[in-house]
Amino acid sequence: MTAALFVQALFAGLTNGFVYALVGLGIAVIFKGSRTVNVVQGEFVVIGALVVVGLLDAAGLPYPVAALAGIVGGLLLGGFTEVAFIRPLIRRRAGEDALLLVSIGLAVAMSAAVLYVAGRGSYLLPAVGGNAVVNLAGATVRVHALFLIASGAALVLGLAWFFRHTMLGLSMMAAAMEPDGATVTGIDTERMRTLTFALGGALGAAAGILVAPLTEVNYQMGLALTLKGFAAAVLGGLANPLGAVAGGILIAMVEAFGIVFIASGYKNVFAMSVLILVMVLLPNGLLGRRARAGG
Amino acid sequence: MVALATAVPLAAPVELVDRLTFAAIYGVAGLGVGLLLGQCGILNLAQAVFYGIGAYASAYGCVELGWPPVAGILAGMAVSGALAGLIGWPTLRLNGYFLALATLALCIAGGELFFEWDWLTGGSYGIGGIPALDFAIVRFDKPEKFYYLAWGVLALALVLARNLIASRDGLAAQAMRDAPDAAAVLSIDMHALKVKMFVLSAMLGALAGSLFAHYVSFVSVQSFGVERSILFLLVPVLGGARALSGIIIGALFVALVPEALSAFGEIHHVLFGLALVAVVILCPEGLAGLWTRLRGARRPARRPAPVTTAKEVEHVA
Repeated sequence: MTAALFVQALFAGLTNGFVYALVGLGIAVIFKGSRTVNVVQGEFVVIGALVVVGLLDAAGLPYPVAALAGIVGGLLLGGFTEVAFIRPLIRRRAGEDALLLVSIGLAVAMSAAVLYVAGRGSYLLPAVGGNAVVNLAGATVRVHALFLIASGAALVLGLAWFFRHTMLGLSMMAAAMEPDGATVTGIDTERMRTLTFALGGALGAAAGILVAPLTEVNYQMGLALTLKGFAAAVLGGLANPLGAVAGGILIAMVEAFGIVFIASGYKNVFAMSVLILVMVLLPNGLLGRRARAGG
Repeated sequence: MVALATAVPLAAPVELVDRLTFAAIYGVAGLGVGLLLGQCGILNLAQAVFYGIGAYASAYGCVELGWPPVAGILAGMAVSGALAGLIGWPTLRLNGYFLALATLALCIAGGELFFEWDWLTGGSYGIGGIPALDFAIVRFDKPEKFYYLAWGVLALALVLARNLIASRDGLAAQAMRDAPDAAAVLSIDMHALKVKMFVLSAMLGALAGSLFAHYVSFVSVQSFGVERSILFLLVPVLGGARALSGIIIGALFVALVPEALSAFGEIHHVLFGLALVAVVILCPEGLAGLWTRLRGARRPARRPAPVTTAKEVEHVA
């Protein structure tokens, strides 16, 4: 294998890694703030991207405005999902399997809704820097890929700061880790959970907007995306946003090098195998129990 | 009820009989998922993989290798059972979300393998010309005839399931579901039990898949994806996971309602997902549970823990 191919695979892994990391980020954030796994995260990504596509095509809005609108849309969708579907179950002290069933049902419904509204086609968003590419050590990397990596890193750092240094972020974590204690100190745990889902929705939409210029987005992608994001999140310790990045990159690297060495058709098989292995062997992520607890 | 069911193919239009036959086939697969969900509290989203293994075992076995149908069915069940045991052993140690998502991951990986291994499965071109089931006396080549076979198999499976639930293993499973710590104290090997149930569920899925292959005589990868797993999941969820009658209700619902809803056009997929959500939120015991509640049947109530009142505390003090 030539050096150029190696670097190419490396950057493919890095770019996809940040995509999975962004999805995993949303899942990690929602878990951090609500102790529930959001199976609908992939749908948030798809819907976020397609909303922006629609706004650009139909309303002719300038790109930054449309992107912002997409993120706000994701925020609202996330919040609505929590209020309408998760809250009644948690109030009823429903078990994990009920929450999971509802999430899966919602994922199916949302995916079908996307099919209904957008059809079976795949959509691309315009890329930052257009089709321009950069030559790095023999590999051809799109400018947008670099933008994605940079944005992803910025988002992760921003979130880490948010959860550690702002009242709201700390309240969200507290509400999830110790609901009773949090209530005693005057934190509205239900509101925190809604806000967490809203934040997760916004992150999902952002991920969609960043990804759609590189990979075509269609109605079917949601569930696979959720699983890969979940794998990234678990690998990183589930409540650890920074860990989700490490996890996402690891999975994408396995995929990228697997494609180079073995065959491209088995992309999902690699990713899913990594997920199962991670869950069985490293349920607390790479960083162990410490990362899981408060992260 | 049974008399009515037996008379249906004679009077009803072929499309209805066809749908009802599918109901029975889905019921067998759904029973597998239901046993895991209702008796063990495990969400199995990989049933489509085992369904596919059964279908392709029958398809490939009969069409390419010239096996008799029974060999195909048994091969499918054996492979599914073995795979379930192999994958189940490490993954069934997981709980809740992790396990469910692991099965979902398995489903997606399996779907991709079905597509890639087109030497075995024919990929999206599929395998056609699967022979109808022929047991010397009777040849099950028409919906009216297959109806009896499918419902016969389902009835047999339900009877066996009822015996299983009442057996030692079944009771152990319920203990594991309701009070895991107590079950552990009673030295019930929960892990081995879960694996056993998972293998059983997979074999039921494979059986359903083989029946499916012989019924429709043509199989291709489209039938074995995540949507199919979710469909099988809907059988116990919609119908009621705890009661076996729920499997029948769920299977009928799942086979008949999408057709009825398709009159609304593409939106019926959305309605289906929402139906799952609505049932879980509004009637967690499924339609069978709803029926039981409407009939006023008494369910064993869990006695709440005794509350220590101020008076009692004063007494002690």
